[in-house]
Amino acid sequence: MTEVFNPETVEEAVALLAQHGEAMPLSGGATLIAMRNAALVEPSHLISLDRIPDLRGISRDDGGGIRIGAMTRHFETAACVELTGSLQVLRRAAGMIANRVVRNMGTMGGSVANADPAADYLPALSCCDAVLEIAGPDGRRTLSIHDYIEDWYETALEEGEIITAITLPAPVEVSSTYRKIARVSGDYATASCAMALDPDGQGLRVAIGACGPGPLRDRAGEKALRGKLDDPSAVSEFTSRLVALADPVDDVRGSAEYRLRLIPRLVTSVLSELTTQKEMA
Amino acid sequence: MKIEGDFEVEAPRAEVWDKIRDPQVMGACIPGCESVEQVDETSYRAQVSVKVGPIKARFNLLVEVLDEQPEHTILSRTSGEEGTRASVVNSDNVVRLTDTDSGGTHVDYAADVSVTGRLGKFGLGIFRKKADQLAGQFVENFRAKLGVTA
Repeated sequence: MTEVFNPETVEEAVALLAQHGEAMPLSGGATLIAMRNAALVEPSHLISLDRIPDLRGISRDDGGGIRIGAMTRHFETAACVELTGSLQVLRRAAGMIANRVVRNMGTMGGSVANADPAADYLPALSCCDAVLEIAGPDGRRTLSIHDYIEDWYETALEEGEIITAITLPAPVEVSSTYRKIARVSGDYATASCAMALDPDGQGLRVAIGACGPGPLRDRAGEKALRGKLDDPSAVSEFTSRLVALADPVDDVRGSAEYRLRLIPRLVTSVLSELTTQKEMA
Repeated sequence: MKIEGDFEVEAPRAEVWDKIRDPQVMGACIPGCESVEQVDETSYRAQVSVKVGPIKARFNLLVEVLDEQPEHTILSRTSGEEGTRASVVNSDNVVRLTDTDSGGTHVDYAADVSVTGRLGKFGLGIFRKKADQLAGQFVENFRAKLGVTA
C-alpha cells in the first residue's frame, strides 16, 4: 500500500521526500497515477503537492514577468489572459494537451518534471526562454529550461528536488503559436513546433518537440536567419540545421525518418502562419 | 527489436577474445550489472539494473553461449525475468571480431530483443535509445579494461 502525505509547505514536502527514499512527489497525477496503475512505478510514499498554496496561481512581478506556480492545471494555463503575444505559444500548447479530463488534472510542474519528450509544454517553454524555480534538500535554485533536459527522461532535477514554479519573461507584442502533428486530436505529438517572431518581425525563436530527448532549439541558427525570414533558401538552411540536431525515436506515432521529414514542413508552415498574421495585424 | 552496433579497440583480437569470454570482465563492463555467476562451462547468471527516467527495473538473466568459434564469433541467448513480476526479456545475440589494419580489433554486435510484461507497455522506441546509450557506456568501460583509450 502506498502511503500518501499532504504537506502544506514546500519545505515540509522536500523534507518528506528526503525522509522516504522510495517516495515520489504527486502533482496532478494525470501521468503518475496511470503509471502506478500499470506497475511502471512503485513509490513507497506519495507526497501530494496539492495543499501547498505557494505552488498555486499565476502572478506578475514588477517587471511584468510571469510566474506560473508548478501546481497550475493545464486548463488554467489554457485560459490565462496574461499569456499574450510572445507567451501565447504556451497558452496554445496547454489547450492542446490530451483532453478535458487531463487538462483539469495535470499540472505544468508535473508535466515538466516528467519530461516526456513528446509532451507539449517543453517546446513551448523553450520558445519562451522559461526559467524553472526548484526547491530541494539543499535549498532553492533556478535553472534555465535550456539546461534542464539531460537525456531521454533524464533531467537536471536532483534526488529529492521538486519544481515550484515556472517563470517567463514579460510578454512582448509579437505573434507566437504552437502546432503539433498528432495521430488524433489529444494524442502526444509525433512532432511539434513552438514559434515566436522577434518584436521587429525580422527573426524568430523556434523549438521543435518530440524529435529528441528534449526540445530542439538552435539559437545560433536563429541568429543567422535574422532578416532573412522571407528568403526560402535561408529558411531551408535553418530547418536543415534543426534536422541535423534531431534524434527521434521510431515508435507507434511515427518512424524516426518520418519525424525528420516533418520538421522542415512544420517550421515553414508555422512561419508562414505567423508572418501572415503579422501582415494582417 | 533489433539492436546493432560496432566499435573498434586498439588491442589484438586474441586479447579482446579473452576479455569477452571472461564473465568477471564482462560483468564489470556492462552498465548496471550487479553480479555475475558462472553456472557451467557455457552459461552464466547475472543481475542487471536498468533505469529509464522514473522507471527502474532489475533483471535476473541467464546467458547461454550457444556456439562459439574461438577468437571470432560468439552466438548467445539471454533470457530473464524481473523478480516476481511479469516482465520477461529474451534476446538472441551475436558478436563478431575481426582484425583491423592497424592491429586492433573491430567488434560487431547484434541482438534481437523482445520485452513483454509491464515494460513492454512503455514502447520500444525509447528502449532502443537506452540500448544505444548503454552500449556507449559499455564500450568506454571495455576500453578501460583493456587499458586502451580508443
